Amino acid sequence: MSQQNDTHDRKHDETRRAFLVGAALGAAAGTSLVTEARAQGNDAHATTGAAPHTMPSGDSHGAFFNDEDAATVTAFAERIWPAAPGKPGATEIGVLNYIDLALAGAYFDMQDFYRRGLAQLDTYSRSTQQKPFAQLNGAQQDDVIRALEQGKATGFDWPSAQLFFNTVRTHVMEGLFADPVYGGNKNFEGWRQIGFPGAQPIFSQEDMQSREAFTRAPIVGIQARAGTPVRGG
Amino acid sequence: MATEKTDVVIVGVGAAGGILAAELAKAGMKVVGLERGPRLKTADFEPHDELRYFQRQDLRPDVKRQPVTWRANTNARAHPLGTLSYGNQAGGGTVHYGSVSWRMHEDDFRARSQTVERYGAAAIPQDSSLVDWPVSYADLEPSYDRAEYELGVSGKAGNLQGTKIDGGNVFEAARRREYPLPPLLLDQSGMMFDEAARKLGYHPFSTPRAILSQPYNGRPGCTYCGFCQAFGCHVAAKSSILVTKLPEADATGNFKLITGAMAYRVNSDNSGRATGVSYYGPGGSDNTVEADLVILTTFIYDNVRLLLLSKTDKFPNGLANASGEVGRHLMAHMMPNVFVRFDDRFVNNFMGPSAQKHTIDDFNADNFNHGGLGFIRGAQISVGTPNLEGGPLAATTIFPPPGVPRWGAAYRDFFAKTYARHAVMVGQTENLPYADQTIDLDPNVRDAWGLPAPRLTYDWRRPNELKRVEFMQAKMEEIGRAMGGQQVWRTPVAPGLPGAHHEGGTRMGSDPKTSVVNRYGQSWDIPNLFVIGSSTFPTMGTGFNPTLTIQALAYYSADAIVNRYRKSPGALL
Repeated sequence: MSQQNDTHDRKHDETRRAFLVGAALGAAAGTSLVTEARAQGNDAHATTGAAPHTMPSGDSHGAFFNDEDAATVTAFAERIWPAAPGKPGATEIGVLNYIDLALAGAYFDMQDFYRRGLAQLDTYSRSTQQKPFAQLNGAQQDDVIRALEQGKATGFDWPSAQLFFNTVRTHVMEGLFADPVYGGNKNFEGWRQIGFPGAQPIFSQEDMQSREAFTRAPIVGIQARAGTPVRGG
Repeated sequence: MATEKTDVVIVGVGAAGGILAAELAKAGMKVVGLERGPRLKTADFEPHDELRYFQRQDLRPDVKRQPVTWRANTNARAHPLGTLSYGNQAGGGTVHYGSVSWRMHEDDFRARSQTVERYGAAAIPQDSSLVDWPVSYADLEPSYDRAEYELGVSGKAGNLQGTKIDGGNVFEAARRREYPLPPLLLDQSGMMFDEAARKLGYHPFSTPRAILSQPYNGRPGCTYCGFCQAFGCHVAAKSSILVTKLPEADATGNFKLITGAMAYRVNSDNSGRATGVSYYGPGGSDNTVEADLVILTTFIYDNVRLLLLSKTDKFPNGLANASGEVGRHLMAHMMPNVFVRFDDRFVNNFMGPSAQKHTIDDFNADNFNHGGLGFIRGAQISVGTPNLEGGPLAATTIFPPPGVPRWGAAYRDFFAKTYARHAVMVGQTENLPYADQTIDLDPNVRDAWGLPAPRLTYDWRRPNELKRVEFMQAKMEEIGRAMGGQQVWRTPVAPGLPGAHHEGGTRMGSDPKTSVVNRYGQSWDIPNLFVIGSSTFPTMGTGFNPTLTIQALAYYSADAIVNRYRKSPGALL
């Protein structure tokens, strides 16, 4: 199997798994699924979160990014939404996969934006920290991102430092909080962390006037909706 | 190239065009509607998907194919806007709007006279083109009533034939009867807003919305799913033109809708009559509809652009533009926000219709004394959702409070804690008209059809408007504190860009020298050409959303066309 096919198949499996998990969650929200989600989270953490030098495992990009750019985007996204104890960060939530698929699809006309932006980011990192962005420690990465956000990073032509920061931040947010069908928000983890129950088709007066978190029905995603009654619980 | 003949051609089948299509077709006129986008079905609006509809704006114009450019002043180069808020399908903006449906106040139709009488002429900024409308509330009341009942609006009367009713909007002008449907259910943020506003002596009430609170005219009531503004309604509880007037128009047998049709010119002859409309079809074909009556009901950019693109030797400044007023007096609401965080409860404001849910009208229009405030006209203050939509992506577009960054661990902790535990208010301000706020043709940017993009020259940051925004933010902070939250903060107001609900560009008036159309939307120069929509608003009128007034004007014009114009076609009404 060629590298390309291999990547494609893994991508396919990823999507299929997300679908199955989503469908099952919609149907039952059972304990076993929570366990599965947690297991997957830990697994991802083990492969990608251990050290700053580790490259991503590879099963979450390939539609657009090369390995090097994937590592940079992964590191950047993780600083935007870092993991906390018991709470997956952007890496585990699948933000890289989301952006990778978006750039191969809906955002295909932004490919050069990313190529140039990432190249400028690395040039700036090397000039100020002597290493490419992905190899900096977290504090150094934050310094670089802050310089971008404030428009203080030098050497950016197009996209400008601020435009690049704002765009990547927006895309990270999309990877965290868009429906899992787009490749991010893995196991609804983005929604779970903030208390959003997804595309519920109906809320009652009691739901709307409650002062508690909404727990009446499981989180609902696009592919979990088909034939799944939400009322219950 | 196809040519067809009809009685009436309507360009843009949205809030106004859909009503005109139905009313004229019911009266026996043969109507062709040209619509740039597709005709979607209720079944197309499921499942709900915030990325597709809110973030990527699926029901709005594609900014790359259909750019609209903006510059702050004539010295700057214009750049395409990143998002466009109007509709791009049959039904227009009523497919994806928040459905907020207001009647304007009596004084909104006479803002200049009201201001002069109460504060003196000096209170009006010298560079503002504030005027009275050529129609009054009394003129439009029957049309407002028809729109509310034919479309289906939920609300509670606050002024029933002069009797003020607590729980409704006590500042509204007198209405002949109750709303056809009771108010929509209150969510928790609405309850807290209601209690806080009452405590402060204000008069809160459920925002009237064209969303069914109960089954009506064969459509079901709202399910409160929350996917409202930016989304099509998956149960057709939203009273969009798509599910109200278009089926009526279809049933007449006199209406033909052509979708994928990009109108690029209103044709006219040397006698000064409009003869029809030329448009590009979906595959690029070049077509013409010949018609006795031409009605433009697109969004304000395209109403203006079509008139300017249609210039001839006889009309060298564009059609309907002998006054030189086409494209002037562009206006928009600004939407400053104040947020309230609650540590002791969930608020879950992603539930229920997502736009302005509960409102006070105490600081709108001239409902309060502006003496000594340094500004005139007001704003509607409402509680709702970030960016008028309640999903998490909308919330990520909002700035966190001072001291909290927009990324990193502190942002994550803030967002995770606050997303489901906040309330947000918006002050929707009535910005004054200024003649130098304009729409014209961009000399540098073209759309996918090769036509010059509409170019906006606009900067809302004028002394009168800045003071109003500051005043409203302080009021919202006062209400926020009364709601009992743990933190209240305002978010930065956008730079000079126009905000929501763009209006003006083909203003109506009583004098052909200073206006483009008369009170019926009829061109002074070309009497068989009508322009109907918010482009004809001579002032914003109010901090209220414009759609119900657009729809009332459409009924008003339809009546005049059917009952009077048809008897002597080509004459001024």
